[in-house]
Amino acid sequence: MLFPQRRRIEDFEAAAMPHMNDIYRTASRVLGGEAGAHDVVQDVYLQAWKSFDQFQLGTNCRAWLFKILFNTLHHYRRKWLNIRMVKDCEEILEQTAAASPALPQHITDEAVLAALAGVPQDFRAVVLLIDVEEFSYKEAAGILSVPIGTVMSRLSRGRKVLREKLADVAPSYGIGLAYHEERIA
Amino acid sequence: MNRIEFGGDACERTRRYLDSYISNELAVETNHEVLGHLESCATCAAELDSRTRLRSRLKAAVTAQNVPPELQVRIREQIRNDRSRGWFGSWFRASLPLAMAVTASVALCVGVWNYSRQSMPALSDRTAQNAYIQKVSATLASVLRVGLGDHIHCSVFRKYPQNPPPVEKMEADLGPAYKGLLPIVRAAVPGDFKVVMAHRCGYAGRKFIHLTLEKNGDRLSLVVAQKKDGESLNGLPAASTPAGIPVVQAGAGRYQVAGFDAGGFLAYVVSDLKSQSNLRIASNLAPGVSEFLMKTPA
Repeated sequence: MLFPQRRRIEDFEAAAMPHMNDIYRTASRVLGGEAGAHDVVQDVYLQAWKSFDQFQLGTNCRAWLFKILFNTLHHYRRKWLNIRMVKDCEEILEQTAAASPALPQHITDEAVLAALAGVPQDFRAVVLLIDVEEFSYKEAAGILSVPIGTVMSRLSRGRKVLREKLADVAPSYGIGLAYHEERIA
Repeated sequence: MNRIEFGGDACERTRRYLDSYISNELAVETNHEVLGHLESCATCAAELDSRTRLRSRLKAAVTAQNVPPELQVRIREQIRNDRSRGWFGSWFRASLPLAMAVTASVALCVGVWNYSRQSMPALSDRTAQNAYIQKVSATLASVLRVGLGDHIHCSVFRKYPQNPPPVEKMEADLGPAYKGLLPIVRAAVPGDFKVVMAHRCGYAGRKFIHLTLEKNGDRLSLVVAQKKDGESLNGLPAASTPAGIPVVQAGAGRYQVAGFDAGGFLAYVVSDLKSQSNLRIASNLAPGVSEFLMKTPA
């Protein structure tokens, strides 16, 4: 091919660029702010570009970019951030049988995001991958390099903490809360 | 997929597996059993509804945030300027003799390459931005520089809000004489391009009507300027003639600049799309935009 570099750029842009919003908002929510997300997203795309030869066109570019994202985030938080890691022994499947606080009818994005920011980072990452980005458990396990069981337990814990945090933060946003009176015996 | 058996304590079991149910990760048979329980248990159904609504609200809240356009531009620029995986290495590995011949050619081209390669100034560095615009525009006919300059000045070196302003705000910013351009532009560009900005602006002593559109980080401007004495694009060779309107186009750096005359105005379509794509959009826009501007007093 006469201009392989140009073709490579076109292939990369077509495959990777449409997912930048997803990568950015996930990085932003995992890190808890947009400032660090700029650097992370830039690193993700440069790493993806440098290793694009290893990516097979037609396969799941989005999952591949998310895997690079979480490798990058892992590197960042170990190097720069003193963020507590979730230990395996904590990852016991929660008893989620109890009824959760009722979701207020008129809840704002601001309140939801504030509650999400209060979910521990590893749980938050799984909630974002499954509930927002709609990856399957298997895909999320591949992206995070953890067993599917860990994805399930983190998702369960994450959703539960999110419901609890939302109950905590909602009143501060002027949102009234009512609770289910009925609980499972 | 997770298969569960239902017996006693159906509520407790159902709730324990609600997460997998919501994620659609249960086996078909188990899913059916959960569904059966939910139909007969109002409390569990209410719990499911609450969790499902929270999931939807979370997705809506998170996806309301988009990557800042200036970050997209910066990343594209870095990739296009990255030389660590360049074509030279590929060729060299593939064929040494050919690579040697190419080396000689490359040596001749390095000066030209260095000249044409432009790094992007920071958003806050207006002086460097003006130097960049002048350098990029240097090879263009002066009448085409008008549109390119405003596109780079106003569309590229800009921090955009997360969400585009509402139509009413864009119409107010364009003013009553030009707000009619919005529906014309929307109808003429591909549906996946969205108008992210529309206003009146100024650059290098001239005033412009400026609409910016985006698609996956590709940014395109329609820039309209009043003609100055003797200015016309019709003296340049036409690249296309939609509805008999001569549309000219030239490349400058990574930008493509198309333009056409419209009564007392000059209209430009500027982007970093491929040449054919930019020309196609300009040709689609020319009839409607030209008809509108011909009716508008300059």
